[in-house]
Amino acid sequence: MQPLLKLTNITRSYGAIQALRGANFEIMPGEVIGLVGENGAGKSTMVKIISGFDSGFKGEYVLNGEALHFSSPIQAERAGIAVAQQELSLIKTMSVAENIFLAGDKVPTFATMRSLGRMAKPFLEEVGLGHIDPRIATERLSVGEQHLIEVARLLAHDPQLLILDEPTAALGESDSIRILDMVNRLSARGKSIVYVSHRMDEIFKISNRIIVLRDGESQEPRQAADLDVNSLVELMLGRELNNMFPVRTPITKTGEPMMKVENLWPDRFLERISFDIYPGEILGLAGQLGSGTGDILSAIAGMTKTRDGNLVFKGHNFLPKTPKEAIDAGIAYCSEDRKHDGLFLGRPISDNLSSTALGKLSTWGIRSDAKEKAMVSENAVKFTVDSSRLAQEAGVLSGGNQQKVALAKWLAIEPDIILVNEPTRGVDVGARAEIYQKLRELADGGAAIVVASTDIQEITNLPDRVITVYRGIQIGEIALEDMTAATILKEITDPFDETGLLEGELA
Amino acid sequence: MSHVLTQEKPNIVQRLVRDHSPLVIVLVLVFMAICIIGAATAPNFLTIFNFKTIIRDAAIVGIMAIGLTFVTLSGNFFLLSMKETAALSIIAFATCMAAGYGFPISFLVTMGIATAAGAIQGLLIGLGGNPIVVTLGAAGLFFGIGSWWSDNLVVSFRRPHGAEWLGTGSTFGLPNITIAFVIIAIVAEFVLRKTSFGRQVYLIGANRAAGRATGHENFAMAIKVCIIASICSAFVAVAFSAQVSSAHVNYFSSSFGSSGDMTIMVIATVMVGGNSIMGGYGSTLRSSLGAIFISTIDNMMVLHGFNSGPRVLAVGLMIVFSIMVFALVRRGSRAEE
Repeated sequence: MQPLLKLTNITRSYGAIQALRGANFEIMPGEVIGLVGENGAGKSTMVKIISGFDSGFKGEYVLNGEALHFSSPIQAERAGIAVAQQELSLIKTMSVAENIFLAGDKVPTFATMRSLGRMAKPFLEEVGLGHIDPRIATERLSVGEQHLIEVARLLAHDPQLLILDEPTAALGESDSIRILDMVNRLSARGKSIVYVSHRMDEIFKISNRIIVLRDGESQEPRQAADLDVNSLVELMLGRELNNMFPVRTPITKTGEPMMKVENLWPDRFLERISFDIYPGEILGLAGQLGSGTGDILSAIAGMTKTRDGNLVFKGHNFLPKTPKEAIDAGIAYCSEDRKHDGLFLGRPISDNLSSTALGKLSTWGIRSDAKEKAMVSENAVKFTVDSSRLAQEAGVLSGGNQQKVALAKWLAIEPDIILVNEPTRGVDVGARAEIYQKLRELADGGAAIVVASTDIQEITNLPDRVITVYRGIQIGEIALEDMTAATILKEITDPFDETGLLEGELA
Repeated sequence: MSHVLTQEKPNIVQRLVRDHSPLVIVLVLVFMAICIIGAATAPNFLTIFNFKTIIRDAAIVGIMAIGLTFVTLSGNFFLLSMKETAALSIIAFATCMAAGYGFPISFLVTMGIATAAGAIQGLLIGLGGNPIVVTLGAAGLFFGIGSWWSDNLVVSFRRPHGAEWLGTGSTFGLPNITIAFVIIAIVAEFVLRKTSFGRQVYLIGANRAAGRATGHENFAMAIKVCIIASICSAFVAVAFSAQVSSAHVNYFSSSFGSSGDMTIMVIATVMVGGNSIMGGYGSTLRSSLGAIFISTIDNMMVLHGFNSGPRVLAVGLMIVFSIMVFALVRRGSRAEE
C-alpha cells in the first residue's frame, strides 16, 4: 500500500539552530502514528512542516504520491491536512456551531442559527459530543469539550490527515479518555491521525506505529506492539532512564507540622478543608482537572482569596492576602501555567531567577550586580539550567528548561514551603526526572513541598503522602504503602461509587 | 591564519547582513541617506550653535518623554494627560510667582500639585482602571481646573524673578534646561538599570501576572510611575514658564504654534525611541535619543524652510518607520522551536 504522506530527508534550521536534520516521516491511510520526542527534538517543527506553517525546509514531501511544497497552511488545509494546535483557536464567546463553521466553507450566504446547528450536528456526533446543543456559547463547555469542538471544526473540512498536537496536555483523566475514544473512532473510519504527546500511556493505547524524534533525527517507525515504556524512553533519550522518580523512604512524621491548614475554604470548594504539612515531605494533592487542588495552593500562596479559614505557620496564625505577604513569610508558589504567571518570557533568564529576591540584593534600593550574578548562577546550577545562557530571554528556552527556571527562581528566597501546581506539564522526560530529583532534594533539605497534579503517574510515584480531592470535596489521605494508581484514581474519579465508569480502566 | 580569523569574526557588514532582514537594511539605509543629504544641504545645520539649539529643543519634550517612559515600560501604557498636567502646573507656578511667593515655594507647590495629580491617576489605574480612560478623564479634569483658576487668561509675572536661571540662564555656555535634561536622563537611566525599583518596572511591564506572583504588585507601581511622569511634566511647565515669565493653559496645545500637540509629541518620542508599547522592553535612554532624533529632523526641516504641516507629517512618518524597523528587528532575533 502506498503511504498517504511521506516525508524524506527533511532538514530545517533556524539561524544557528538545526531543528531537523534529515528526518523522515510516513503515515498510511487510516493509521494512527504516535510522534514522540523530548522537548527540542523537533516535534513541533515536524508538525509545522507537515501542516504547511513552515515552508522553509529542505527535503521531499510526498502526499498521495505527488511531490508538493506548501507555502501556506491554507494550501495544506485544501490538500486535506488539518492540525489541532495545543493552544485552542476557538472564539469562546461565539456558539459551538459558529465555531465549527468559522472558516465558512459550505455555509450558505444566509444561514440561521438553527440551520447552522443542524449542519454542525454530524460533526459533533463524530467527536462524541452529540448531546451538546450547538447553539450554546463555547465558553460554557469544559476545556476537554472545547478540544473536541476544535477537532469537530477540523472535521468539517473533511481532512484525510489529522494532526493532534498534545490534545490532552491540559486535560484531566476522563476528558483524555474521550479524546482517545474519538481518535479510535476516526481511524476506524479511515482517517489518518498523527498523535503528538508526552504521555506514554496514551501513545501506547492508540498508536499503530510510533516515530521517535531525537535531536532533529528520526528513528525508523516501529510497531507500538513491539515496544514498551522503558524501551521507548530509551529511544527518545538515546540512553537508559534508570529511575524517573527518586526513591522514597517512609517518613516518620515527628514533631510539629510546618503548616496547619485549618478550615480553609477556597473558591470551587463545597466545604472547608484541613490538613497538615510536615517539613521534609512531599505532599501530593491528587484530583482531576477542575477538582480544585490548584485552588488550595493558590489560596495558601495568597494569589486568590478564600472565603474563610486559617493557616498556622511557624506557630503563628497567618493567612496571606497578597502573594507578597506569602513570599515574605517564605512560601513559594508555582502555578500550572508558567507562561501566564511563572516567567517573564521577554526578560533574560537571570532577571527571572532574581525576580523573587530583589530586596535581598539591594542596599538602599540600589541593586548589587555582583551579588545578583553570584546568586543567579548558583541557583541556575542547582536546577541544571545552563549558566552560559543566563543573558538570553527566558522565552527562547524549551518547555522543560522554562519550567526549571520557573522553579529555580524560588531558591533565592530559601522557602520553607514550596507549592507547585503541575510541576511537569509540557515538560519532556529528561527534564522531568531532573525536576523530581530536585524537588526531593529540597524536601530532604527540610522544606515542605506540596505538589498538585492531574498526571496519575506523577502523583502516584512522587509524593510521600497523597490527599485526594474530588470536585471540591476533600476525600481522604493515602499513605505511602497504599499508594497505587488504582486507589488514587478511584478516589479522584468516583469516590462515592456512583458509576461503574472506570471498571474497565482498572481491570 | 588570517583566513581563519575572518571566518570566526565576521566584520560588521557581514554581521548586519546575516542578522537583519534586507527590508530593515534598505529602510535604514534610505533613511540615513535622506538625513545625510538633508544635513549637507541645510544652511547652517553643521554648526555648534545649531547643535545646541537641537538639544535645547529636545529638552522640553525629552524630559516629559523620560517621565512617560516609566509608565510605558511598566506596562501601564500611556498617560494621555501629559499636556494637561503641564497646563495645570504652569498655571499653579505662574500664579504663585505672580503672588510673590518666590521660586522655591512656587516650585514646591507646583510639584505638590503634580504629585497629587499623578497619584490620583496611578491609584485609579492600579485599582484596575484602563489607563486610556482614566487619563483621558484626568486630562479634562486638570485642564478644566487650570482654565478655571486662570480665568483662561495669561498669567504673567515680572522680571527679574527667581526662576530666570532655569528659564533663560546658562552654565559654561550651555542652557541650564539642557543641563537639566542631561542630568534627568542620566538619573532616570541609573534608576532603571541599577535599582530594584527599576527592575520592578521591567518585570511588571514584561508580565504583570508573573510580577504579582513574585511579589511585585502593579498597584504600587502604577502610582509611582504616574507620579514620576507627572513630576516630569510639571518640571517642564516650570522651566517653560520661567523662560517666558507667563503662563496660559494653552501653552502646550497645538493651537499655540508649536509643531503638534504636546501629549502626542511626547508619546511619539517614546515610540520613536523603540520602546515596547506593551511594556517590559526599552529604556529612558531610548526616549532621550528619540527626542534628540525628532528634534534634529525638525531642525533640519525648519532650516529648509518647511512650515509646521510637513514637520508634523515627518514626525508621523518617523513613528511609522521606527515601529516597522523595531518590529522587524525584534522578530528576526527570535529563534523559536
